[in-house]
Amino acid sequence: MLKPEIGGRPEPAGGGAPKGEAGPEPRRWKFSELLSEPAVKARWEKVRQYFFLRESTYDMTNRCNLTCDGCYYYEGTKQFAQENGEPLAWRELMRREKERGITYVVLAGAEPSLVPELLEVCFAEMPLGCIATNGVRRIDPAVGYRIHISVWGNDRTSRQVRKAGELLHRQIDNYRDDPRAVFVYTFTRENITEAAEVMEALAQADCRVTFNVFSSPTGYSGALRHDAASLARTREVMREMTVRYPRHVLFSPYNAVAHTHAKGLHHLYGCSYPRMNASTAIGLGRSFRQFRTDLTWDREVACCVPDTDCADCRHYAAGSAVVTARLYRHVTDPLTFKSWLDYVDTYLAVWVMGYEKGENLCAEMVAPPEREGMGKP
Amino acid sequence: MPESQEDRKQILRIAEIIIGELKLEDITPETFDPDMDLVDELGVDSMDLATVALVLQDEYGVFIDEDDYPTLRTVRLIAQYLSSRPASGRRG
Repeated sequence: MLKPEIGGRPEPAGGGAPKGEAGPEPRRWKFSELLSEPAVKARWEKVRQYFFLRESTYDMTNRCNLTCDGCYYYEGTKQFAQENGEPLAWRELMRREKERGITYVVLAGAEPSLVPELLEVCFAEMPLGCIATNGVRRIDPAVGYRIHISVWGNDRTSRQVRKAGELLHRQIDNYRDDPRAVFVYTFTRENITEAAEVMEALAQADCRVTFNVFSSPTGYSGALRHDAASLARTREVMREMTVRYPRHVLFSPYNAVAHTHAKGLHHLYGCSYPRMNASTAIGLGRSFRQFRTDLTWDREVACCVPDTDCADCRHYAAGSAVVTARLYRHVTDPLTFKSWLDYVDTYLAVWVMGYEKGENLCAEMVAPPEREGMGKP
Repeated sequence: MPESQEDRKQILRIAEIIIGELKLEDITPETFDPDMDLVDELGVDSMDLATVALVLQDEYGVFIDEDDYPTLRTVRLIAQYLSSRPASGRRG
């Protein structure tokens, strides 16, 4: 149970809105009071050093060596963009990106490992970033970005959903002992119980893992789409895996809450990517661009997982930006603020080379703060 | 309207908070241009601005609405914003 004097609303099982009576007016905490605990202050100082990160994302090629159900890349028009494989053009793009203040690149779609010469050029110009890959081909160790390797279940499921045999085996072979690697286990409605055996294999190989939640592409209503029951089960398994493999799992209780809530990320926090945020005043709405393979971009569709159904978006990449950006909503009480710090600490460990995650400060499942709780009419 | 001594004092204090929170070098409250655009000219982004807003809330005892953050573009605009808001007691 939560202690009333330290605040934080417990998250009810199932991820719905907390129930209960209004109760007395909660204590108002000053920001300086929230920082008065030395461990909290230290974590705040640790994470705020990375507030300079300004991301944009880039589709590197239209090609992929897998054919996965529910792949958001092969939705919408971006898949038809003319591919620009010219390293000089990419070098120029990276230089222009730096000039407009971008400090972090996410190289994705469809399969970036198929264009190693472009990865090399990007890394030479922009030292911080991440590559989202299926892990079938090993990326040159000279490219010092974080590498996220997508895992969608055990071998049987990989054959079924990704039409690839021995996939986990090949991924581990390619990225075992690689300090760049973070395996990303995507929970779908159908692979929740498989997480235990996949985690066991990854932990045995000493691989680090974080969790993602399948977020349906626009118009997708297939078997992978989550429902309320599968989200609740996913949350339980996430918690169990986080406790069982503390050295290998990069996650926190608040990550589990934010990404398995009955409401999606946009509903809970208000997505700050241009696709859902008309403001160009500051933050992602101002600086974020999602480049297609022809090096063009379109503000109307720009987000980190374009062509995902925004109402169903619980994607780990989206949350990393959207939850982090809502610092001011999390300064309501010590537990909520600690939860936010755990989330940001996790996000940085998952995305930034050399950043080491600390122990989670909050073991409780704390409900996401409501906007109204911050004084909104 | 000429700037009063109180206004000037508040502007210097806000500049001091921004310099401290953003760890700015080679600038003092006295040399900080109160009309400098924090976003366009200083490169302040949303997380930095949120941090500054939280510290200002503590100091002045006013609630700064998250929707108002983008309007806090200069030290002078921040000072005007704070002066226009009653101390709410929402924070402390």
